[in-house]
Amino acid sequence: MTAPGKTFRLTIAAFLVARSLIAINGASEVDQAIGLSFEKDIAPILEAKCLGCHNPNQQEGDFSMATLEAIQTADEEYVIPGNAEESMLYWITLPLDDGEAPEMPEEGDALTEEETKALAAWIDAGAEWPGGLVLKEASKADESWWSYQPLSKPKHASLDAYIESTLKTNGLTLNPEADRRTLIRRVSLDLTGLPPTPEEVEAFVTNPDPQAYKNLVERLLASPRYGERWAQHWLDVIRWAETVGFETNFLRSNAWPYRDWVIAAFNDDKPYDQFIFEQIAGDTVGEDAALGFLVAGPANLPGQIGRDEAAMRNARQDELDEVLRTVGQGVLGITVGCARCHDHKFDPIEQSDYYSMQAIFAGLKYGDRRKRGSENDDWSARVPAAKTKRDVAKTELESLRSEHQLRKPLDTIHTETFAPIEARSIRMRIAATEFGSAASLYEFEVWSSSDNESDRFNVALASNGSQVSASSYALMNQSRHFDNLVDGTVDKRQAYPWIANETGPAWLRIEFTDATIIDQVIWHQGRSSRDLPAEYVIEVLPTDSEEWREVSHTRDRLPRTSDTRKVEDIDLPSIGLDAKKSIVEKIRALRSAERELARLSAGPQVYAASFAAEPEATYMLRRGDSMQRQDEVVPAIPAVLGQLEISDGAAEEERRLALAHHLTQPEHPLTARVIVNRVWQHHFGTGLIETSSDFGYMGSAPSHPELLDWLAGRFVADGWSLKKLHRLILASKTFVQSSIPRKEALEIDADSRLLWRYPPRRIEAETLRDSILSASGKLHFEMGGPGFDFFNQRGGLTDYVPKETFEEEGWRRMIYAHKIRMVSVDIFGAFDCPDAGQMKPKRPRSITPVQSLGLLNSPFVNRQAGFFAERLQREMGDDRGAQIDRAFAIAFSREASPAERERLSVLVDDHGLEQVCRVIFNSSEFAFLQ
Amino acid sequence: MKHFKKLGRPMLDRRSFLSGSVQGLAGIALTKLMAEERARAASPKIDAANPYAPRQPHFEAKAKNVIVVFCSGALSHVDTFDYKPELIRHHGKPMPGSEELISFQGPNGNLTQPLWKFRPRGQSGKMISDLVPHIGEMADEISFIHSLTNTSNTHGPAVNLMNTGFTFDGFPSMGAWVNFALGSENQNLPAFVAIEDPRGNPVSGPNNWANGFLPASFQGTPFSSTKPIRYLDRPAAFSSDTDQAASEALRFLDEQNAARYPGDEELAARISSYELAGRMQLSVPEAVDLDSEPGHIRKLYGADSANEDKAAFAKNCILARRLVERGVRFVQLFNGAYATMGRLNWDGHGAMKEQYDIHGEILDQPVAGLLKDLKQRGLLDETLVVFATEFGRMPMFQMGTQGRDHNPHGFTGWLAGAGVKPGVSYGRTDEFGFKAVEDVATPHDFHATILHLLGLDHERLTYYHNGIERRLTNVHGHVIRDILT
Repeated sequence: MTAPGKTFRLTIAAFLVARSLIAINGASEVDQAIGLSFEKDIAPILEAKCLGCHNPNQQEGDFSMATLEAIQTADEEYVIPGNAEESMLYWITLPLDDGEAPEMPEEGDALTEEETKALAAWIDAGAEWPGGLVLKEASKADESWWSYQPLSKPKHASLDAYIESTLKTNGLTLNPEADRRTLIRRVSLDLTGLPPTPEEVEAFVTNPDPQAYKNLVERLLASPRYGERWAQHWLDVIRWAETVGFETNFLRSNAWPYRDWVIAAFNDDKPYDQFIFEQIAGDTVGEDAALGFLVAGPANLPGQIGRDEAAMRNARQDELDEVLRTVGQGVLGITVGCARCHDHKFDPIEQSDYYSMQAIFAGLKYGDRRKRGSENDDWSARVPAAKTKRDVAKTELESLRSEHQLRKPLDTIHTETFAPIEARSIRMRIAATEFGSAASLYEFEVWSSSDNESDRFNVALASNGSQVSASSYALMNQSRHFDNLVDGTVDKRQAYPWIANETGPAWLRIEFTDATIIDQVIWHQGRSSRDLPAEYVIEVLPTDSEEWREVSHTRDRLPRTSDTRKVEDIDLPSIGLDAKKSIVEKIRALRSAERELARLSAGPQVYAASFAAEPEATYMLRRGDSMQRQDEVVPAIPAVLGQLEISDGAAEEERRLALAHHLTQPEHPLTARVIVNRVWQHHFGTGLIETSSDFGYMGSAPSHPELLDWLAGRFVADGWSLKKLHRLILASKTFVQSSIPRKEALEIDADSRLLWRYPPRRIEAETLRDSILSASGKLHFEMGGPGFDFFNQRGGLTDYVPKETFEEEGWRRMIYAHKIRMVSVDIFGAFDCPDAGQMKPKRPRSITPVQSLGLLNSPFVNRQAGFFAERLQREMGDDRGAQIDRAFAIAFSREASPAERERLSVLVDDHGLEQVCRVIFNSSEFAFLQ
Repeated sequence: MKHFKKLGRPMLDRRSFLSGSVQGLAGIALTKLMAEERARAASPKIDAANPYAPRQPHFEAKAKNVIVVFCSGALSHVDTFDYKPELIRHHGKPMPGSEELISFQGPNGNLTQPLWKFRPRGQSGKMISDLVPHIGEMADEISFIHSLTNTSNTHGPAVNLMNTGFTFDGFPSMGAWVNFALGSENQNLPAFVAIEDPRGNPVSGPNNWANGFLPASFQGTPFSSTKPIRYLDRPAAFSSDTDQAASEALRFLDEQNAARYPGDEELAARISSYELAGRMQLSVPEAVDLDSEPGHIRKLYGADSANEDKAAFAKNCILARRLVERGVRFVQLFNGAYATMGRLNWDGHGAMKEQYDIHGEILDQPVAGLLKDLKQRGLLDETLVVFATEFGRMPMFQMGTQGRDHNPHGFTGWLAGAGVKPGVSYGRTDEFGFKAVEDVATPHDFHATILHLLGLDHERLTYYHNGIERRLTNVHGHVIRDILT
């Protein structure tokens, strides 16, 4: 690593020790006679050079150096007070005789001579260690790390001046400007992810207007295709997907509005500070879809989490961890997630910072929320009418009910009361359920009869000694077992319902320990209303008889609104068929009125963060273990970034507002630098900081630090406008220069990091697929809404079968593909398309034979090659040369050379035009931005 | 400083450290930038034109290739390899001290003895149950680890941990790490192959063979005896002449383009990747031609079985052998599909006896056949066979069922072949098989040991991602030296 970390090391150490000392009262100075203070002179050395490995968490070599006691317990010879020469801590840090590095520290820099001398003096003076002082590992970078500092003052007046100055230092110069065909192709692919049409190319190439290039950039920035391209970059960073991930990978069916929100934000040039603000606190300004950001990551479903306390707490910690990573890496470029289990090893982020930041989101929940806006307003306006319709249907049904003297429908927690009877057993015989599903109940209570309410008890409880049985239980698994009927709990996180194994009639039976006088049964709905008993009798076995006696039935009950049985399946012996028919019709009408009312009342939904008004408490967790809670923490950002302006006992919303305001301060050292660098990365292939979500110690050093600051300053001054930033970059000589390599420059800078040429690179998966469709003429420009499918299923367990052919819907731009986490897309997944498991701020650009096989042999590509050939035929007739020229103009934005024209004409003659199109889709030129 | 932050905590003295500026970086020289990037890349240098070229390990390797047999759904250790006489003695009684134990699905019932009889096997007399008698015959070749643990008791995260080193999605799989580190001995076949069970994809699906944040070149290629490599064959509508002519024209165009960019590695790599694809098209059909295997070999694996699932899994095992024989570096062989309440995999919550009898029949002879066949061909000297699952199962039945709940506290995996001590057992669970109590081993230890046998130091095999030099073993892992030769 280069200088910055090291030059400030002393400051760091002093800072850390000072910090450690706050907790210690009256820490004593060591022997003043030797002029050394343990706190100032010794502790910093140990913290910076030893504690990295010998700390209480890691205990390399099986010991920690956090306290003298720990060191001496490990081995008395490590530190022998008064005898430095014999103390291993001292001699092991000395260089070896042959000039080789000392044995310790094994990692990092050796101690300086000054430091070893100080160490010796301290040991010789008695190795006094102030009581209670516990050393902490020093992070490699401290608060003085460059990315936490304010922007540096501008040094040059233009982007090119910064680039050219660094080039000059390294004996390099910019390439000449690229030709216009190359340029329009480059800027079109870069801004919109699509190649220019031949007409656009010709218009640009022949345009004498000196403003031609500027106008071209304006046209592309104004195109809706721009947002579709650049939104993808943001979705990569935050690993957005439309399934939950993990084993079940269930569908998040309302996630797509967030994707559309991002696309619109780019197209509208929403100021970046506002873009961030809304994604943290959009609920406060009516931008609910923006909150999809916070829950972009994977999260296990409650049903997939163990019933044990540890599993439930861990799952919650994992959910919130994903949020912290999204915000930390996505917006700030800090890897705050690294401090979940211990202080960050590299950056000045303590474990307490992690949990304080987590507290900001303590109220956050994953799931659907209402999406306000014009659609919502429209729905809301329709609620009163829907309500009236529902009320009318309800009244009509009610009058039918009283006309036919039916009892009111069953409840989901239903109470049947009957004349007191002494019984030994009770049974329920279920003839049918509402939806025809297998019967299910959560709990079945049987209450003893008594005038005194406090004397009544639930006879059925297993804990009262009763025995339960049932016709069957599903899957031979306890989570559906009939024991659940009498376990005394209906808590869905802790207990399960009974579910019969098959549909159709089912029964349950409970034997009491002693004959008891009973007068009431309460049963609770099982898994869902689909399996609610709709038709049943309850019978008891009296003490005085061997015959079951009926105590309640459903023969004169009006079916529930949710009951979907057919007329002929409903047993209401007291009324005629016609009456039954009209009742069922009215029920159906009421059901659909209620459903519509519920839908309109709930409003349109988006999968986005929602928030509990009363956030749960947040604790420090020892080593990140959710079962080892320590002190409660209050919301804060990492101390290195300053502090949030929030009041004591801040409410949920206030916490996020404070964070959003903090992140969007014009002088924030990270927010602008991070986004400016991301934009640079997508224009040039690599950021000024290569590690675009990590501006910390482990991140790469900036190739042009002053340029980064200059761009960030301009960006903020320009109102956080991304389009203005694009204009600034695209207008530069650096961007418009040719990509042709020069031998001597390659020798100095093979990776073109200093930008002596425009760095060519393979295009991304989405650009490749969209370009194929564009060339074939089949690209379908429908924007927004639910995505198209790459697979036979949209979520759920594994075994996804890729679709091989598509029709118009599937010829939309790839950003509109329904995104399934952890499932690689057919053909294009091999082109480093992110799987949305981990955040991917920068895609690798691998080149593999699997890519080649997919492009050569897949039905998708070959069908599009066929369409491309048809298009050429249609547009150019049978003229071979014209067909090939047109193909080149569409695919490569240039004419074919005579040699190419000749070579490909032979291929057309022998094997057909389709083969030329197939070859073009496979060619490097088609797949590269040059 | 206290470990918690009160509101209005003291503002750090920012001026004192803000006085530093970025000036120190302003004149950063290119050489420094490059040196830094080199220093970071302790990880292998990949030749873009030939990503699968064989690469040197960190030190001399004992094993050249690896086959991982992974039992999806969590195979019960107490019913297979971990013999617990006390469990038999305490059958039907509550587990002392854990009467109220809540595990993944809820409360548990009484201790339940193994559902299959254990017998001594081989010269070592290792006690192995009748569920896996053929594997039992190979006991003297195997090094058992009885003290494996997992941090999650949920299938998905636990499977992720076993195959990628992290419970979360999106980290590179073990095979991708090995492919990245070592490349392959055979340039005409994929270096890393994932063979799915004939009954379906395993739990966590493609995350088991994903490249994560490593380049896509290193992801596993899924295919099996019943499911060919996708798009390997030219479209049926094109003759081989047509295909050939197209390939030649493509090469012509690509060379024209590359000539305009002399020295561009990526363009050269792209031409190479088409050549490699062409060679793969020629080599794969030969490698997967199981019909060429003689009858006695098919019989050894059980590929002649009337049980279709068994025969198909046996063919997958033969395929695994044929692949390592041809130099494929890493083969995953899945046994069991996804979550189906134990019907298609080892997740025996409810009806363990009935379900495991079916699964055991499919697993046992083919895996034993693979070990025997590798041995008789001398391939076991250079191939490491790994047998793993995501966690074990409880020594008791779940309350009210005939099966066992998830148990991440202790379970068995094993290694056999190159560099592994044969016929030994390492680590121990308590007397009922509930919890690992001796030489407790984590998945990271397991991975560190596998990498070690391949000549790789798990602490040096790294790749930078989002702030950290990532490793397969996270920040953990110790090589289990006691089981190495």
